[in-house]
Amino acid sequence: MATEELVLKITGLKTNFYTYEGVVLALDGVELFLRRGDTMGLVGETGCGKSVTARSILRLVEPPGKIEEGEIIFFDSDDRSGKITPIDLLQLHPEEMLHVRGKRISIVFQDPATFPNPVFRIGTQIAESVLLHQDLSREVVEMKIGEMRNSLTGDLPEERRSQVVEKIRYYEQQLDEPPEPDDKDKKKAAQIVAEEMLKLVKMPSPSSVMMQYPHELSGGMRQRALIAMALVCNPEILICDEATTALDVTVQAQVLNLLNELKKEIGASIIIITHDMGVVAETCNWVSVMYAGTTVESCATVDLFANPVHPYTAGLLTAVPKLHDTRERFPQIRGTVPNLITPPSGCRFHPRCDYCTEICKKEKPELKEHRPGHWVACHNPLS
Amino acid sequence: MSDDILVKTRGLKKYFPLTGGVFRKVIGKVHAVDGVDLDIARGETLGVVGESGCGKTTLGRTILRLLTPTDGTIEFDGVDITEIKGRELRETRRNMQIIFQDPMASLNPRVTVKNSVGEPFIVNRIARGPRMRDLVLALFLKVGLTEDHLNRFPHEFSGGQRQRICIARALALNPKFIVMDEPTSSTDVSVQAQTLNLMKDLQDEFKLTYMFISHNLSVVKHMSDRLAVMYLGKIVELTPGDIFREAQHPYTFALVSAVPIPDPKFAGRAQLLKGEVPSPINPPRGCRFHPRCIFCRDICTREEPELRDVGDGHLVACHFAGELDFGESVQQEYAVALADM
Ligand SMILES: Nc1ncnc2c1ncn2[C@@H]1O[C@H](COP(=O)(O)OP(=O)(O)OP(=O)(O)O)[C@@H](O)[C@H]1O
Ligand SMILES: Nc1ncnc2c1ncn2[C@@H]1O[C@H](COP(=O)(O)OP(=O)(O)O)[C@@H](O)[C@H]1O
Ligand code: SF4
Ligand code: SF4
Ligand SMILES: [Mg+2]
Ligand SMILES: [Mg+2]
Repeated sequence: MATEELVLKITGLKTNFYTYEGVVLALDGVELFLRRGDTMGLVGETGCGKSVTARSILRLVEPPGKIEEGEIIFFDSDDRSGKITPIDLLQLHPEEMLHVRGKRISIVFQDPATFPNPVFRIGTQIAESVLLHQDLSREVVEMKIGEMRNSLTGDLPEERRSQVVEKIRYYEQQLDEPPEPDDKDKKKAAQIVAEEMLKLVKMPSPSSVMMQYPHELSGGMRQRALIAMALVCNPEILICDEATTALDVTVQAQVLNLLNELKKEIGASIIIITHDMGVVAETCNWVSVMYAGTTVESCATVDLFANPVHPYTAGLLTAVPKLHDTRERFPQIRGTVPNLITPPSGCRFHPRCDYCTEICKKEKPELKEHRPGHWVACHNPLS
Repeated sequence: MSDDILVKTRGLKKYFPLTGGVFRKVIGKVHAVDGVDLDIARGETLGVVGESGCGKTTLGRTILRLLTPTDGTIEFDGVDITEIKGRELRETRRNMQIIFQDPMASLNPRVTVKNSVGEPFIVNRIARGPRMRDLVLALFLKVGLTEDHLNRFPHEFSGGQRQRICIARALALNPKFIVMDEPTSSTDVSVQAQTLNLMKDLQDEFKLTYMFISHNLSVVKHMSDRLAVMYLGKIVELTPGDIFREAQHPYTFALVSAVPIPDPKFAGRAQLLKGEVPSPINPPRGCRFHPRCIFCRDICTREEPELRDVGDGHLVACHFAGELDFGESVQQEYAVALADM
C-alpha cells in the first residue's frame, strides 16, 4: 500500500491492562491502515479490542492500561498547503498530543448520554469547543461585515450609508490577513459557528437546540450534537465508536446517512467501530476485522462479503441474521471468546477454528497481502 | 380454540402520570400503552418491535402485572388476572417471568450467582441448602454453564454468560410464559446467536410461550412465529408472515426499509421516515402515524383506524391497508437476490 494515500498507519500495536487477576494482553500486534477519504469499518466480537485500539490512537488509555509498543503514524496534511507530515503519535509529547486529539483526530463514543457536560447548554458547549479549536479571526471579520450589511437595509441617511459602506470595504481588506480579534467578538463568532455546525448535522430547529440542555434532547439528536462537536475542528480523522448502536433503526439510518453526506462535505476519513455488519455494508468501503486483540483480515467491504478469507470472518458473516430466512437456528461460531490473560498460543483463534493445523498452535500468523488489496493473518487462508 | 390462548388482553391501557412544577402536580399523562388487544397462543413466540419509547417494555410489564393497568383486561391461562392481589398474584407470577436487556443490572453484584439463581426456591419455600444447590446446578447445566461457575460473582462472567444466568433464574420455577425484553441488544452477533439458539431449545424442551421484545427487526423475525409492530402505545400491524416482504402498514414499511442490509451490493437506501416519534403525552388525533405518513389523507387526521384482518390473520390498522403502493424497496430486491442464490 503506497504510503502517500494513507492518513493513518498502525503497526505492531500492543496495549496491556495490569489488573489484579493478571495482565490482560488486550492488543497483541494490531495492524491497521486508513486511506485518505475512506470510511473504514472496524468489526469484531465484544472484547476483541476495538475500543482499546481507538483509545490507543488518541492516547486515551488510562491506568491500569498501558500502550507497550508499536507505531501509530498519522499523516497530517496542512489545510492550506496540503503538505503532508508523518507524525508518530506514540512519540509525541503529551502537550503536542493535545493538538492532535479532538483537533486533527476526533472521536464520538457509544453512549449518547456521554455529553461532556450535562449542566451546560448545547450551544455553550459547542461554542466552547469552537473557541478552543478554531482561530476565529476570519470569522470575526466576516461577522462584522455581515452586521454592517444588515444595517444597510432600511432607511439610512445618505451620509451614514456611505460611512457604513466604507467600513465594509475596510473590513473586506482585512479578510486576507485578519487581525487578532478581541474576546467578546470571538465569543459571538463562536456562537454563530456552533449554530452552523448544528445545521451541518441536520439538527431540527438548531437555534432552539442551542439553548437546550443535553437531557432535553432525544438519543438521535444528542448523537447529532456529539457529531457536530467532533466536527468543529475540521478533523482529518473521525472515529465513531458504536456511535449508532444504542439508537433505533430509523434514527440510526438518519445518522448513517448524515455521516455519508458529511464525508463528502468535510473530506475527513472515518473509522466506524461497530458489530453490525449491516452498518458496515451500508457505510464503509473498507473493513478491518479484529479477533482477540489482533487484526485478522483487512480489505474492501465488497471483497470481504463476497470472499472472506479468514476462517473467523467467514464464521462471523454466517452468524449475521439474514433478513429473509425463516424461523430456524442461528448459525454460530463454536466455542467462546478467549480470555486475554492467558490467550491461546500461536493463532489466537485456533481453539475455535475448523481449519487449524499444527503450525497454528505454535506460530502467530502475520498479516500479509494474500491477494492484491486483501490482507489476512492466517496460516491456511480459505480460497 | 380459546384453550390454545395463554395470554389475552382487551383494551389494555397503561398511562403514567406526568408531574411538574414545585408541588409535583399531575400535569398530564404519558399514554405508554393505549388500547392493546392481543392473543398469544400457547407455545408460540410473539415478537414485538417498534421505536424506543413506543411502549414495548410497558406492555410486557403490564401483562405480567408488574405494573397496574389503567384500563382493560388481562387473561392468563383462562383466568382474569387484571385485579388479582396478594397470594393469588404471587402464585400467578410464578408462571410468568421476565428477562431484561442488561443482565448486569438484574443480578446483585455481591451475591454469588448460585444464590441469585436459587433465590426463587428460597422465597417460595421450595428448597434450600444442598437441595437448592442441586436444583441450581441442574438449571446451570441446562443453559450451558458448569459446576465451577456456581460460586462466582456476576462481574466474573462475560455478557453472554450473565444472560444465561438470568435465563436460568427465569426458568427456576418452571414458568409457562416468559417476556424477553431486548435480551440480546447488549451482546454482539456471535454471542447473540448462542443465546437465541439456547432460548429456542429451552422453548421446545419446556413448552414455553415467549413474548420477545426488541428493536432489532432481523433478530425478532428469526425468533418469532408472529410479529407485532407498535407505534405510540398501539399495535399497528400484526402478522404471521414475512414482515420484510409483506408489510402493509406505512409505518412498518418505513421501519423495515431502515434496517441496514448486511450486503454491500444493496448499500444506499431511501430515507422514508422523517422526524422523530411524537410525544406519547399528546398523541396525534386520528391515525397516530399521520404526521409522518406520506399516504396521509383527510380521513386519517380525523378517524382512528381499527386493527382489522386483511386475510390469513394479518392485522393492519390503516384506513388504506391493501390499497397502498409502496413501490420497490431495497429489502425486496435483497429478498429476491437471496431467493435466486
Ligand atoms: N480498564 C480496563 N481494565 C482491564 N481490562 C480492560 C480495560 N479496558 C478494556 N479491557 C480489556 O481489553 C480488551 C478489549 O476491550 P475493548 O473495550 O477494546 O473491546 P471492544 O472490542 O471495544 O468490545 P465491545 O464490542 O464490547 O465494545 C477486553 O478483554 C477488555 O476486557
Ligand atoms: N415509570 C414511568 N413513569 C413515567 N413514564 C414512563 C415510565 N415508564 C415508561 N414511561 C414512558 O412510557 C413510554 C413507553 O415506554 P417504554 O414502554 O419503556 O418504551 P419501549 O420499551 O418501547 O422503549 C415512554 O414515553 C416512557 O418515557
Ligand atoms: S492460522 Fe490456523 S487456526 Fe488461525 S485462523 Fe488460520 S487456520 Fe485457523
Ligand atoms: S391511516 Fe392514513 S395516516 Fe395512518 S398509516 Fe394509514 S394512510 Fe397513513
Ligand atoms: Mg467497545
Ligand atoms: Mg424498552
